[in-house]
Amino acid sequence: MAAKKVNKGNPADDPAADDRSADAIDDGRLGDAVATHVDPNSVTDHGEPETDVRTGQVVGGPTTASTASGRRAKGRSGPETPTAAMVALRRTRQRHRLGNIEWFEAAYRVYLLALFGGGTVLWLSGLIGDKPVDPATADAFARHAPAVLGVAAVLALLAGLRSGAQGGPLALEAPDVMYVMLAPVDRRRALVRPAIQRLRSAAYAGGVLGAIAGQLAGRRLPGSTIAWAASGAIFGIAIGMIWIGAAMVAHATHAPLWSMTLVGLALLVWQVFAAVGTHAPAPGNLVGSLALWGWRQRGIDALALVVIVAVVIVGLALLRRTSLDALARRSGLVAQLRFAVTMQDLRTVILLRRQLNQEQTRNRPWVRLPTRNRKHAVWRRGWHSLLRLPATRVVRMALVAAAAGASQALVLRGTSPALLLTAGLLFLLGLESMEPLSQEVDQPDRAESLPIERGSLMVRHLAAPAAALVPFALIAAAAATVVTVVNSHGRYTWSSAATVAAILCIPTVLGGAAGAVVSIVRDAPDPFANASQQAFMPPEMAGVTTLLRVVIPLVVSALATVNVLLVRQAELRGDSTVGAAIRGAIGTILLVAATAWWVRKRDDMRKAIKSFMSQGRDYTTEQRSAR
Amino acid sequence: MSRNPRNPRNAPALVTTGLAKNYGDRPALEPLDLEVPVGEHVALVGHNGSGKTTLLKMAAGLLDPSDGAVKICGHGSGTEGARRSLSWLSDSPTFYDDLSLWEHLEYIGRLHGVEQWEEPAERLVTTMGLSDRRDDIPTTFSRGLRQKAAITLACIRPFDVWLVDEPFVGLDATGKEALLAEFDLAAARGATLLVATHELTFVNRVGRLLALRDGQLTYDGPPSGTDVHALVMPS
Repeated sequence: MAAKKVNKGNPADDPAADDRSADAIDDGRLGDAVATHVDPNSVTDHGEPETDVRTGQVVGGPTTASTASGRRAKGRSGPETPTAAMVALRRTRQRHRLGNIEWFEAAYRVYLLALFGGGTVLWLSGLIGDKPVDPATADAFARHAPAVLGVAAVLALLAGLRSGAQGGPLALEAPDVMYVMLAPVDRRRALVRPAIQRLRSAAYAGGVLGAIAGQLAGRRLPGSTIAWAASGAIFGIAIGMIWIGAAMVAHATHAPLWSMTLVGLALLVWQVFAAVGTHAPAPGNLVGSLALWGWRQRGIDALALVVIVAVVIVGLALLRRTSLDALARRSGLVAQLRFAVTMQDLRTVILLRRQLNQEQTRNRPWVRLPTRNRKHAVWRRGWHSLLRLPATRVVRMALVAAAAGASQALVLRGTSPALLLTAGLLFLLGLESMEPLSQEVDQPDRAESLPIERGSLMVRHLAAPAAALVPFALIAAAAATVVTVVNSHGRYTWSSAATVAAILCIPTVLGGAAGAVVSIVRDAPDPFANASQQAFMPPEMAGVTTLLRVVIPLVVSALATVNVLLVRQAELRGDSTVGAAIRGAIGTILLVAATAWWVRKRDDMRKAIKSFMSQGRDYTTEQRSAR
Repeated sequence: MSRNPRNPRNAPALVTTGLAKNYGDRPALEPLDLEVPVGEHVALVGHNGSGKTTLLKMAAGLLDPSDGAVKICGHGSGTEGARRSLSWLSDSPTFYDDLSLWEHLEYIGRLHGVEQWEEPAERLVTTMGLSDRRDDIPTTFSRGLRQKAAITLACIRPFDVWLVDEPFVGLDATGKEALLAEFDLAAARGATLLVATHELTFVNRVGRLLALRDGQLTYDGPPSGTDVHALVMPS
């Protein structure tokens, strides 16, 4: 093993030491990288080398046994810093990971993403059309868009501030927390790479979405499509950086969650006031204005970029103040979250997000159930669960319900794509409310040990959440009524809008939640499944199966929202909107009933299909034997 | 006798001042003032949920205190000086799933600046009976083997203070003997030990016993002549 000649000075003064060590690792000379350095523990905190550190009163663990003898190899100097070891080993691990990637599978995923992503963009482009807007509309857009788009920037700021106060935005692997962060390495240096990775991914996601939105806007607004796509990308990148930068700074300040929420909400209210027509200067206006650079450029807008970059730099500079407590708590959860995202397991993603936000069920229920009536165990169990939902979750569910109602009102006004938004919101509301069913699915051993058919048990679990959704349906109805009347320009009165909303709200909310039920129940382990069949599924089938797993529940939720189209059609034809609402409600109730029936009979159906397939295989085997 | 560079002022190994932790409105550790001198061997006992792990994690810098402070060899908990002095053996070992045990030993040894890590690593894997598993990934090990692997990782680097949480769980008889030998070795070199355990026979090997009940320190003294079973009963 050739000894490397390196400097004999203090390692802390040798910036090249890290790179030399890393090079040795990269060359496959792990031993060399280690052997060329002496123990930095022989260096005091002030950087002064100790002549004999091993004979003091306090010595280290068994490792000192070998180093105590002072067998420091002659000709070896230039100690390896712990940070250099970290950098070198990280590089090696990265190489291992790259070597382990299944490139064919990765390429197939990219292909699927490009196919469906491209298809979605084309579909959206078709919806938008390419007829240029008239000058008056363009002028109004230029006046209002910065403040409206600024709401997105302030929302990102709010999300970042809250994330930082809750321990975000970084997440390391659990062993990194245990070994690297507890080693005497420079924590800022150790965290810079994960922080930049986090920034990069947020900026990338924001940039892609911004570019898509920009090119859609460019089809109808003045300016070239490419310029709009570029400015959309800049806006998206800015949003991503605001989110992560704000989170890093909020984390470093160790400010309590309530204060960060208060600051964020205050800014949001200010921005919303500016957006709804006051035209007052607001904190997000300059960021929002960046999105319009595809059409007109204002130098002052660049100030927003300067501020955002400054916030990110401050966040990176303060990384040393990152709480190890938060890193330890988040490490395991984020690994699970990434896996769940890979598996497109939306329910687990939401569950883990709740845990990341330290959203715990209440120790004491809001209301204690009477102890006299001990019948209907599943119904009571459902309420025991629902009455422990934390206040933040209840508020979130109310906001989601209100947003869904407002979205349905937009559909009624003519914005058909808002149907998808309503479906997504109701799907989320369903996932939030179906906690008892989720818990049952997550404990399959317990459920299967009960002397009751699984399908029957699951159907019974739907009752309490369905009842709990009624108040949220009424909130949705109220929001839908307000938005409908405000936007209808006299076509709807308060009473007519409220009547339609009252008829549709409960079936629609329950139908939307039916999608969540499908998602939850499909995740339940299949007692009749053959693991080897799944394992040997060709990639094409596996990809489609995974896609269907995500899409089908959302389709069910979307079907529940289309009833509003009947009302819209009736209004356009001059028919009774109430009659149309009743017909739509009946259709949605049938969808809910069909979902419940599927939950009840799913195991029976799978058993029957399995039996049929098995008989077919047996018959084929017999035929072959006979030949 | 030359100075220990990690503790040049020969500060106490562990000092807590009003150290407290609450989870929501539930106190996990009531304000605690404690001083553990250099070289002392301390057993920490208490019922489940009494606050043992909370105390150790705060000392290790893995948990933020709700109030108060911890110092390790004169350095604030979690600072670079404290990390240099302290080795932490968790009751739930974690490992990288792309590194073998040997590669873990190299990595952690080097992170702590150990020049010649191979020799002590060889000794540790032999002592723990892991010689034939050194090139395997520890995440695939059984509970007991994972614990043994974690012990090797805790011992591969120099330390002045060793915080140990439930080290005997999952260990077989030879593993327990090997761990006790490592304790003795560390003690002989002057390291301070703070071991949280339910293994009540272990308390006879230490000079000081701390008992926690519902987050409060209920006993601090020598283990001899004490009814340890009574100390670990929940209230």
